[in-house]
Amino acid sequence: MIKTFNVLKATAFVTYKEWAAYRSHMLVSVFVGPIYFLVQYFIWSAVLKHQETINGFTLEQILMYYGITMLVNYCIMDFAGWNLQMLIHTGKFLTFMLRPVNHKYFAFSQKIGHRLLGFCLEFIPVYLLFCFVFRLNLVPDNFIWTLISVILGFVMMFLVNYTIGITSFWLIRTGGISRMFLLIRDIFAGVFIPLSFFPETMQKILFYLPFQYISYVPVRVFLGSYELAGKSYEISYIVFLQFVAVIVMLLISEVLWKLGIKKFSGVGA
Amino acid sequence: MAFNAEKIHQRRRIKVIIKVQNLKKTYKTYNRGNSFAESVKSLFHRKVINVNALKGIDFTIEKGELVALLGPNGAGKSTALKILTGVLYPTSGDVSVMGYVPWKERKKYVAHIGAVFGQKSQLIWDIPPLDSFCLNRAIYSIPNADFKANLDSMVEMLDVGSIIKKPTRQLSLGERMKCEFIMAILHKPKVVFLDEPTIGLDVIAKDSIRKFIQNMNSTGTTFILTTHDLGDVEQLAKRVIVINKGEIVFDDELKGLRRHIENRKIIRITTREPVSYFGEDGITMIRQISPYEAELGLDVSKMKINEFINMINMNGQIADISIREVPIEEVIKELYVK
Amino acid sequence: MEAWNKEVFRGGSMIRFVKLHIMGVKIAFASRMVYRADFLLSSFITLLGDLIIPLITFLIYTSGASFPGWNIYEVLLIQGIFMISRGIANMFFFGTVWNTLSSVREGTFDLILLRPHSTLHMTMITAISCDDLGVIAGGILISGIALYNLPAPGIINILGFIFFFIVSLMVLVSFAIIMSATVFKWVGNSRVYEIFDAITIFGQYPATIFSKGFNILVTWVIPITMIAFIPASVLLGKAARGIYIAALSSVVLFVMSLVIWHLMQKKYTSVGG
Repeated sequence: MIKTFNVLKATAFVTYKEWAAYRSHMLVSVFVGPIYFLVQYFIWSAVLKHQETINGFTLEQILMYYGITMLVNYCIMDFAGWNLQMLIHTGKFLTFMLRPVNHKYFAFSQKIGHRLLGFCLEFIPVYLLFCFVFRLNLVPDNFIWTLISVILGFVMMFLVNYTIGITSFWLIRTGGISRMFLLIRDIFAGVFIPLSFFPETMQKILFYLPFQYISYVPVRVFLGSYELAGKSYEISYIVFLQFVAVIVMLLISEVLWKLGIKKFSGVGA
Repeated sequence: MAFNAEKIHQRRRIKVIIKVQNLKKTYKTYNRGNSFAESVKSLFHRKVINVNALKGIDFTIEKGELVALLGPNGAGKSTALKILTGVLYPTSGDVSVMGYVPWKERKKYVAHIGAVFGQKSQLIWDIPPLDSFCLNRAIYSIPNADFKANLDSMVEMLDVGSIIKKPTRQLSLGERMKCEFIMAILHKPKVVFLDEPTIGLDVIAKDSIRKFIQNMNSTGTTFILTTHDLGDVEQLAKRVIVINKGEIVFDDELKGLRRHIENRKIIRITTREPVSYFGEDGITMIRQISPYEAELGLDVSKMKINEFINMINMNGQIADISIREVPIEEVIKELYVK
Repeated sequence: MEAWNKEVFRGGSMIRFVKLHIMGVKIAFASRMVYRADFLLSSFITLLGDLIIPLITFLIYTSGASFPGWNIYEVLLIQGIFMISRGIANMFFFGTVWNTLSSVREGTFDLILLRPHSTLHMTMITAISCDDLGVIAGGILISGIALYNLPAPGIINILGFIFFFIVSLMVLVSFAIIMSATVFKWVGNSRVYEIFDAITIFGQYPATIFSKGFNILVTWVIPITMIAFIPASVLLGKAARGIYIAALSSVVLFVMSLVIWHLMQKKYTSVGG
């Protein structure tokens, strides 16, 4: 157990250091994030000039939605899929097979190190900007539930990204396909527009896909009310469903991983 | 008598650390075609091509050996190495390394081996090698005291003390390779696999790395390395295995390679009059530089050197002559071509 | 680079630029077409990314809301024109950003300096991006659908549109040149595209949604709205005042971008790279 924890500690530390060498790279978020938010501010102020709400959101609520989505993203985003894809395509993945380490665990530890730095360089500055310049009231409806949901979103984002990365074992000339997966992931996680804006049939399908559990659910939990496909659930219930979704995604990724390793090792070839 | 043989046999068995029997590996590749129509068709039906990378190879390696694996590109060397390191599954055959079946018990097995695979670096690019070493310490669960002792001794041996705290991207290729070696051997593995360890390095770096390998080997670590560099072979290898087209065509001590060429000399000769060498048994023309100068191959089992000189003297005067050994390169080339 | 033989570098200045550019397109096409399926897939995916903003516009209007003073087709026209403009700029000019980035990082920029032609132009024409054809096609489609549902524009509007569309391309090229210049100093910064993407979003919406002060910033100071909004509004006959000032700003921006680029290149080469 201690040995496993040591691997996490060492990997997280090394990744933190690695990214710290690219500080200015990360700080770009502090510029880009607020710009995106500014656009949303103008868009929704104009759209909601002559009406109170749109799809149940007031101006303040929808701006909060976008602000929280961005902040949650700084807490949960990762490059697990990209990294794995790079390792497989360059052949460097071999160096992990040659060492007694579980790559998924290694990649997860990398994420922890990476996000630790991201929390300091991306989350905190933008949070402060949102609070003091945009005057958003960024206090979660229930801190404990929000924390749990964000942590689950953290794990879910990792599993979805990692699974997309696993497809690199088969899709050798991808480039395009993983970009498409990531786009779909963001659209259906409610990053570009709240999921409740989509047509109702679409929303019903989205409920059963893993994407909403990455960002949409944690954001809704922060805001204090969850709604999708015309149904509204208790925060405790939707967080529980989020937990179940994470478990299911974990199982799917494990199965795909075993298949991927088999292909990589030329089993049965 | 039988009892003695048994005992010797037993003692030898304990020393065997790698055993490969009838190892076969066949790849399936697909012919996808280049035109658009062909690539669309290939989504539904692919023409399968079977490639026999290994056609059934056998060898055993004893503890403490330093074996060089040679062979032309595509011969099956890398395939063999990947199977030995547990990364690739064979099609059939048996492999046992330190009692493990590499691909079956990979996670447990790899904790006891070291590997440096050419360009596939374990070092993390933007941070100092020292940090990458610490990462491996956690991965291999090396006790702190051992880690420090091993690291210090290897750093001194390779003289990299001043560079392990600089980010990897600032190091030269030679310095990086040295650190790569440290990464691979920190956990004191009993068997180390190297794939082209000196490729791209300058003469001094190559020498350092070779000395390091020799040092480690003398403490009992078994080394298997693939290489195209014959300097590696001459300086390091006590035993050479040559693989060609998936089969072993040579497996013997380095001296054995030399015996292949003992009888052959290369003679460069300049004469005052043009001399013809055709038709003489034992002499082969390598190239005629001018009517007066030629490079010849001489088989001394057919014609001794003094006989050769006498023959020339009968037909003309020798202005200049040099006699040298056939380089190992030539022998290897012949083995590749067969 | 073998195809760039000295033959091509002869000829008068303007003609030479055009000739070389056309050559760059031909070469890029030839090599891209080798992997046709990959090209189609990649173009499609690039297009998908650019469809998100029109999608959001669509969802807003189908929810019963709107941007005051603009109907859905007018807004979609702005976004369709944005796609065409950006697609063309991306395809023919934006290669310079990626090209300068990677050659500075790998130290191969000197190879470009050895060519008897403007280095900036070389970086553009050796990195033509065929994958943006999908975006151009998508933009034309969306603009077509929008125009179909709108009153036909008059000749003056169309002529005005053509003029401002060209100015819009000039603005985009200026941005590409500036981004390319920053890469000399800020080596290996691959997020420069992100910054650009964020800024240009302001050009995809009717500028009437911005506050007065902000409007001045993005129309006259840094003419971002020139990228799509101004040409679209001219075509629709809804042009605001000050579009000619914006055109002037665009020219100033273009000239500045060239100055900045050559400055940065000089600095780079004097240090020895």
